[in-house]
Amino acid sequence: MSQESKWEPKLLGFLCKWCSYAGADLAGTSRKKYPANIRIVKIPCSGRIDPLFVAKALRMGFDGVLVSGCHPGDCHYQTGNYRARRRIAITKRLMEYMGIEPERLQASWVSASEGDKWAQVVTEVTKGVKEVGPNRLFDDDGHRKEAAGQS
Amino acid sequence: MTDTEKKLQDKAKELLEQGKVEHIIGYAAGSLKFTTTPLITKDKDDARQLVINPFIVNNLSVFLNDIKGKIGIVAKPCDARSIVSLLQDQQVARENLVILGLPCQGLIDLRKVERLTGKDRDDIDDITRNGDKVTVTTGGKTQKFAAKEVIFDDCLSCETPTPPEYDFLFGEPSSATDKELGRKNIKELEAMSPQQRWDFWKQEFSRCIRCYACRQVCPACFCTRCFIEETEPQWLSPLPRWQDNLLFQTTRMLHVAGRCTDCGECERVCPVNIPLRSISKKVEEIVDELFQYKAGMDKNAERFMTAYEPSEAEDLMR
Ligand code: SF4
Ligand code: SF4
Repeated sequence: MSQESKWEPKLLGFLCKWCSYAGADLAGTSRKKYPANIRIVKIPCSGRIDPLFVAKALRMGFDGVLVSGCHPGDCHYQTGNYRARRRIAITKRLMEYMGIEPERLQASWVSASEGDKWAQVVTEVTKGVKEVGPNRLFDDDGHRKEAAGQS
Repeated sequence: MTDTEKKLQDKAKELLEQGKVEHIIGYAAGSLKFTTTPLITKDKDDARQLVINPFIVNNLSVFLNDIKGKIGIVAKPCDARSIVSLLQDQQVARENLVILGLPCQGLIDLRKVERLTGKDRDDIDDITRNGDKVTVTTGGKTQKFAAKEVIFDDCLSCETPTPPEYDFLFGEPSSATDKELGRKNIKELEAMSPQQRWDFWKQEFSRCIRCYACRQVCPACFCTRCFIEETEPQWLSPLPRWQDNLLFQTTRMLHVAGRCTDCGECERVCPVNIPLRSISKKVEEIVDELFQYKAGMDKNAERFMTAYEPSEAEDLMR
């Protein structure tokens, strides 16, 4: 029980190098405080996101995945973020159908100047995934039943 | 041989003779009862082997990924949709194809026939379809079934009795669909709790042996190198563990979203009977519901994965 309350979610972020990665950098250089639960992977464009990345992250044991890119209209490659959004939308819906909590996949638009927004997004996502609980999807037995029993 | 078969054979022969195509891809009788086998030939005399019957299950468009040059291909509506999708993806050129379209009334699912009659397919003498009725003869006795009872689930859900793209059409369109019946398995899954659904898929994918038949038979899976064989990084383990099996298939289904036409081939070829169509059909529904897109209907349409509306799906973005 006590183990469960000390549990902190581990998140994996895929951030486009032009906007969100720079935004996260800005949050850092301006000393914004936000939960240290996220590890960041820089991708050339949010359009690089493949449902495969989400599958791999969950399989590795991450509790949640956050994809972040430039705001609509601001994509460095014009349309990469729109394409990412479509993929994320269908991925979330299929996750739900398979029995995976769709909350484990989150997405945001964060520009290079939005250090504040980045800090806020990570805070919210961390809180959200914390509510969903630890990723025990791939444990060979029990997983969520066990998780529910513990909390 | 029916009149329609004769017309198809004559046309195939003529196309080969006149050099309009180098290859004909169609169906020939299989070596077992109630089966057909793909026929791929350059020889005009082989054209007379072509058949049309309720057992032409293969989606022949998968061969377009391997055979080059001018091709005459026999296509049911779902196969024709796969061809359209390949055209959209620029995997084949329209001018290299002569599409010999077949309207379809649904194919007969032998497993359903076996279940209903309680007989093994080897003991069944004859299965004939006549409009909405299917007559099964076993040891001199006949039994009649409504077509809806014995056609494949994907055929029950079919909304395209006529191929959306063809050069010649052989036969008259007609169909006996029942959408609700076609998505029965999906409905059952939707009624479950997330935990039950996960347990269900976990069970199912525990049987997967990673033969990759589902991928090989899929016309939309034309990647020369599939992610599952990549080693640096290794995305998912090649070992058949349920966890990786489940994620492999979920990812595959998302890769073919907007290109999958619900032809049902993956489910038919799966040697361990995993209900793959309960995933592919669901993905098709999601794509349609969220983005009003149906795969393989219009060769000039923007592809699902590259098309966008600036304001769509904003509700899920932070
Ligand atoms: S056909 Fe069935 S057993 Fe073979 S890899 Fe696909 S899901 Fe697994
Ligand atoms: S599963 Fe994905 S990567 Fe593999 S062949 Fe199909 S579309 Fe390509």
